[in-house]
Amino acid sequence: MCSACGYPEAPGHWTEAGAANMAERLRSRFRRADILERVLKPYGLNVHDGGLVPGIQISNQFGNQTIVRDLAEVWALAEQWTGSPVDPLDPRFTTSTEKDS
Amino acid sequence: MRMTVLGGFLGSGKTTWLRHQLHEGVFKGAFVIVNEAAETPVDDALLQGSSNLAVLAGGCACCVGKADLIALLRKICDERSSQTEDRLERIVLETSGLADPGPIVEAIRTDPILVHHIIVSETLVMVDALHALIQLRSEPLGRKQIEIADCMMVSKIDEANPDDLARLLATLHVINPGAQIFGTVKGTEVPLPDFDQSEPEHLAEVLNEKALSPIFPSKLALDETVDWTSFSVWLSALLHARGNDIMRVKGVVRTPAGRLLVQTVRKIAQSPEILPEQESREDNTIVVIGRGYREEDLARSLKYFAGAS
Repeated sequence: MCSACGYPEAPGHWTEAGAANMAERLRSRFRRADILERVLKPYGLNVHDGGLVPGIQISNQFGNQTIVRDLAEVWALAEQWTGSPVDPLDPRFTTSTEKDS
Repeated sequence: MRMTVLGGFLGSGKTTWLRHQLHEGVFKGAFVIVNEAAETPVDDALLQGSSNLAVLAGGCACCVGKADLIALLRKICDERSSQTEDRLERIVLETSGLADPGPIVEAIRTDPILVHHIIVSETLVMVDALHALIQLRSEPLGRKQIEIADCMMVSKIDEANPDDLARLLATLHVINPGAQIFGTVKGTEVPLPDFDQSEPEHLAEVLNEKALSPIFPSKLALDETVDWTSFSVWLSALLHARGNDIMRVKGVVRTPAGRLLVQTVRKIAQSPEILPEQESREDNTIVVIGRGYREEDLARSLKYFAGAS
């Protein structure tokens, strides 16, 4: 059990398999939060991961705020709060590079 | 020469099962042929336990890749004819998850050369305990694979809900009452629960195959702008939103932790396995098999997530 968040210890999520040591793990968490912040901002969601407590902090403009454990929970929560899943194949993510290619 | 045809839907556990059998020495001395619908082979990396292994990539052996398969089998027969001792006695063909084993068996039985050399002794079909009911409801191919089986092996039964599993087994028994059914967990045979009391699923009589857009494989190269973090954020979102259309994702990604084998089946991603360090041209190339999207959108979207656009 983590004394900061109260979550029982769980095996890592598959998305966290790419880091070999603590420093890389932390760097990966910061990068993950940056990507999520950029992707979820247009949906009215804010993402923060300060690296101090486990989990990813998500909030919306209605004052809801929560900490989720992993990316699977991020996408489930985003769907719950916005009413539809965040689809990476949505034109908002696929048309911006169309002009370059 | 006897031939075992191993079929089953995308991600049903064909390679896992075969890998375990090879490890246990079940198909000792057999020639193993792996057919993959995508141009980037991944499964051969997992089946190094076999001494004779050929990969037919870039075409499903029941349709576009049929000529290649027949040519390979004829070559194997030719070579066997010139051997005087320790002649090859068995061929194992692992079909792609998009293959209907029926036309493959038919092609071998009707080929004027192969018919004298090869007897297709068994058609084994892997059935995914977690996804098979959905596949049977929506995919005509999933049903065809079950119908042709001599023996069905239901995989992942340790992860399945007992009621759903019993319902699946009863349904399989209705679709193909003659076939034997076994349960497996990671390639090891395990006993199945009793399903006599379970009500089988009433599947719609005719599935409109033409109404479904075709399932196609795409190759996605991860360039230097895409690291593991951006890739995994992107893929986890993709599986959450499109898990019913993205049937299968597989490939090897280089990360600081090593070469990670990524495998997903619909919405479920396996814990990535770390593969032994070796140079491979296919690293950082991911195969995505699914329907209902434009191939080029995958790369564009990934680029956006990686912050490169």
